[in-house]
Amino acid sequence: MKIMILMLAAGWCSLAPAQTNTPSPSNPPTNAPAGNAQQAPPAEINSDAADFDLNLHQAVYRGHVRVLDTQVKLTCDWMVVELPTAGGRLNHVLADTNVVVDFTDAKGQTNHVTAARAVYDYQVEGLVTNETVTFTGNPVAETADYIILSEPLIWDRAQNTFHLKNESIKPRHSSNSVGGTNASPALFLK
Amino acid sequence: MNFNMAMFCRAGGVAVFFLAATGGPAQQLPAGHARDFTSESYFEPPHEQQVKMKLTGAEASPLPGGLLDVKQLRLETFSLDGKPEMVVRAPQCFYAPLDGVANSSGQLELQSADGKFTVEGEGFLWRQNISSLTISNRVRTLIDRSASPGFML
Repeated sequence: MKIMILMLAAGWCSLAPAQTNTPSPSNPPTNAPAGNAQQAPPAEINSDAADFDLNLHQAVYRGHVRVLDTQVKLTCDWMVVELPTAGGRLNHVLADTNVVVDFTDAKGQTNHVTAARAVYDYQVEGLVTNETVTFTGNPVAETADYIILSEPLIWDRAQNTFHLKNESIKPRHSSNSVGGTNASPALFLK
Repeated sequence: MNFNMAMFCRAGGVAVFFLAATGGPAQQLPAGHARDFTSESYFEPPHEQQVKMKLTGAEASPLPGGLLDVKQLRLETFSLDGKPEMVVRAPQCFYAPLDGVANSSGQLELQSADGKFTVEGEGFLWRQNISSLTISNRVRTLIDRSASPGFML
């Protein structure tokens, strides 16, 4: 099965060359929201309860989990976070059950994603940064212009590209849907 | 998990040794109100000389059932190379040294040694033998931007 790659260089809606990995300089690039990271407020996770395994450096948040970030709001039923060691950074997060994500893209447009599960992974191997968010369990992404269904829906954050499979893309203002080989090349590349 | 954890407890300036492992020597607990007590646990062999966790309290009062009413709890965890990892603070808790369990319905604050990760909540259960901390209510975690440039997204 071919994996469709939806190229969304600025937020969700513009084209860029297809890549899967990128050479990383000393500070691996990410597509984090622009701005001074040192001055931005911290990310916040709220939940009813939580379990911390200090041997495994793992936190499990349970019940009404809410993540508040400058440009992202995420809710789910439970979430597993691999706690960074001293000087490290988050490299694995699992959000599970009733995952709802609302975020504002570079154009200031609000996007809405729902799925049963979302997994964030960050890895630096040599000079290559891999940073992905994988949505599974009937993921649906609603942008200003499209409703995108894909199983899975993988966002390559390092490249700001979306990898779609078994996808269906519907314009928000039309009843016509596009998908598979009928999809517009202006929207995604095979 | 093998709970072969020797603990060293100093209470009221009198050193009291006891082993939490089954089959260990007879155990003694502080008899009265104590100040500045410390309990340490160590990594398993071959790193049994390395402190894994240090629990301290400004005051400890004995309660029935071998419990201690601890004021100003401070719990520190360390990596194998001796570097501090996490610090947990609570104004009050009940600590069962023989079981290695502490709990409270009150406030708790956890902070990573580098300060990038802080957690606060109400009500907790600390299980020393598995290094597990459960926070029961209103958990709020703050992750510094340098550890999370953009949370997931």
